[in-house]
Amino acid sequence: MIDGFDPVIHAPKRLAAMAVLANAPTVSFRFLKDHLELSESDLSKQMSTLETAGYVSSAKDGHGRGTSTTYRMTRAGQKAYESHCAALRALIGPT
Amino acid sequence: MESEEVKEQLQAIERGAAAPYINYPTTPLWYAPAIGAWAAAMVETFAWYPESVGKFAGSIAALVALELLFIVWMKRRHGALPMPGRGKPPAEIARVWRGYWIGLTVVAVVVAVLWLTVGIPVAAIATFVLVTAGMALYENRYAVAAAKTKARLQ
Repeated sequence: MIDGFDPVIHAPKRLAAMAVLANAPTVSFRFLKDHLELSESDLSKQMSTLETAGYVSSAKDGHGRGTSTTYRMTRAGQKAYESHCAALRALIGPT
Repeated sequence: MESEEVKEQLQAIERGAAAPYINYPTTPLWYAPAIGAWAAAMVETFAWYPESVGKFAGSIAALVALELLFIVWMKRRHGALPMPGRGKPPAEIARVWRGYWIGLTVVAVVVAVLWLTVGIPVAAIATFVLVTAGMALYENRYAVAAAKTKARLQ
């Protein structure tokens, strides 16, 4: 295993989600769904995996039909994401 | 891992990282004048100081509360509103942000000079005009930079 390489983040959909989350304090479910072009169930599954790993936290806003979910990258997530990016860059070498 | 796969992953990271900066709802027409009016009101509020500290403090608190509500609305509307200090904007956007801070400094200096030489009412009018024009220019340049970034990352 390459040092810093994270199998949870490596999956393309989760990697893209982490890249979005690293650049905004909070990200809505709808924004991720639109950007990643995923179905609601697939996105829920990917975000649930990141939450279980402790890389993302979620919060619900509102009630009933108006409920919206927002995600935030945790410190552990930030660290894992940065290490994963550094590992990828190290693999490709200096450009 | 194949180097092509690594390159694809790095490109996915770049596209994802750029998304909060380049995917945003259309800016409403009232946005620039509203920001101009808010900034002008902030300056005009100082006309009450020190004669009526209560009125002054109340107005400042109301304007700050209004700004906070505006940010909450913007965050909900955008879905992934970028904030300075969080992440790294694409080079095209970073250039526009640098221009924003330079412009803000210039406007602050001009307003301060007018405040000290001509008085608060004139400084408030100048604030409205300069901030409205500055925000309109910024929004225009930001849209161009976002379009360039989108084209580069496609």
